[in-house]
Amino acid sequence: MTAPCPAPPVVATRHLCVQLGGRRILNDVCLEIAPGKLVALIGPNGAGKTTLLRTLLGLIPVQSGEFSLLGCSDLRTALPSIGYVPQRLALGDGLALSVREFLALRRRKTRNWFWRSRQNLDLELPAIAEELGVRPLLDKSVSSLSGGQLQRVLISFSLLDEPKLLFLDEPTEGVDAPGERTFYEIISDIHRLHGLTVVLVSHDLSMVHKHASWVIALNGRVCCEGAPDDIIREDALREAYGLHVTSYHHHHDPNPGSIPPPHSHSHDHNHPHVH
Amino acid sequence: MFTEPFMQRALLGALILAPLCALLGVFVTARRMAFFSDTVAHASLTGTAAAFLVGLTEPTPGMLVVSLLVAASIIWLREKSGLYHDTIMALLLTGSVAVGTVILSRLRGFKGELHRVLFGDVLAVGPTELWLAGGLLILVVCGGAWFLSPLSLITTSEDLAHVSGISVRAYNYGFILVLTLTVTVSIRLVGILLVGALLVIPPAAARLVSRNLRQEIWIAVLFGMVAGGGGVIVSYQADVPCGPAIVLVSIGLFIVSLIIGRLTSVTRGSLRPA
Repeated sequence: MTAPCPAPPVVATRHLCVQLGGRRILNDVCLEIAPGKLVALIGPNGAGKTTLLRTLLGLIPVQSGEFSLLGCSDLRTALPSIGYVPQRLALGDGLALSVREFLALRRRKTRNWFWRSRQNLDLELPAIAEELGVRPLLDKSVSSLSGGQLQRVLISFSLLDEPKLLFLDEPTEGVDAPGERTFYEIISDIHRLHGLTVVLVSHDLSMVHKHASWVIALNGRVCCEGAPDDIIREDALREAYGLHVTSYHHHHDPNPGSIPPPHSHSHDHNHPHVH
Repeated sequence: MFTEPFMQRALLGALILAPLCALLGVFVTARRMAFFSDTVAHASLTGTAAAFLVGLTEPTPGMLVVSLLVAASIIWLREKSGLYHDTIMALLLTGSVAVGTVILSRLRGFKGELHRVLFGDVLAVGPTELWLAGGLLILVVCGGAWFLSPLSLITTSEDLAHVSGISVRAYNYGFILVLTLTVTVSIRLVGILLVGALLVIPPAAARLVSRNLRQEIWIAVLFGMVAGGGGVIVSYQADVPCGPAIVLVSIGLFIVSLIIGRLTSVTRGSLRPA
């Protein structure tokens, strides 16, 4: 029998060090993430953002230090309450797996999908998949989906067992700009409506500024963290990204032909731009 | 023709092993493990030679032992050496062929066995092979409901499988064990050089005409049965070796699937270049 998990903090790392291929990627990372936040991990390429996420999920071994998720230091106890959306390119496409079958693989109650009827599986489809508009995609092959469609399916997959914590690793990789905006709006809605904690790796500082409630700038270690207004600034980012940070005038013009834009609106911001 | 016991054994063996290979082949092709199965198949040459060297009259025990050792070596070297997958397998494949050929060439009276191991022989399917094939079939069918979902998820994304609470490493080892045993037993029927075709062609043909994984699995198993049974009959009727006959029937099925797939456009947008 496992001990009950106290709620806060949802993610806690203490002096976490990770080495890959003889090179230290994460060095003495200490951070805490409070429940209910939408946290963005930002930083230059090679800063260790994906490594941190994969370490927290038990996909990369820890060299030293420790971490806990949902108050549990035993990852196996925490995993059933965690959702994960990997980079799109990490998915194999060798099987003729349909979206319906793919979603059934996640849930314990539908893992015997091979012997169940389509109607039976559809009945088990949770509301979240309906919210994300996945039903029309159920008969499609996972390997034939567009970038935006696949992201919706992957988010549905990750939310099927109602996780308390959601990790997203550069989720808009390979998605066009309108699709990327839609994606962040979906994530923002899910975060708000379902009250789960979201940790996402992102390169898009403009989207991070708009949607995140907390930002952690990483470059091998935690350089700085705070509210988006405090972190998405030249002086704060210079430490994380180095010298190549300039301010630019950023336009967001919705593309009415390609996005359902319930929350999108045109706006201008002065956001730092990373070169 | 099926009144003769050797033909009954060959047909039964083909009807068990070919669909079994096709079922496993769905995952072998999706996980790009065809070279792995070729390597453990070639290890059987050393296994055959080793069996005769120690005085066994049946090569199957030696084949099983050496193939399992080579499969374990692939895993160990992959985890410990840092070498690329295909480098390790090329090393073990060529090494196995060299050792097996040298031993067989030094043994008197076994040169004919080399041809039989390379290309298969209906006469080589004895009661031992049938018992092994039956055992594997029961193992796969009974375990199927249990391992199909985890294996499908691992094949799609090992990371997602891990986060979904699946023990990826245990399932991978289990799959490699069943695959190695199946490949080794199938060699008696179709031979080392052609067993890879049994794992690749029926699943590839099924992929061309499938809309989902359930269809892909059923069609691959059906194609495996047709290729196995049809191949043994063709082999007997045309007096040609069994292995090549099974492979030629498989290729025929593949061509028909390719045409049907193109005509119905089932696979449009779902097949991507590797």
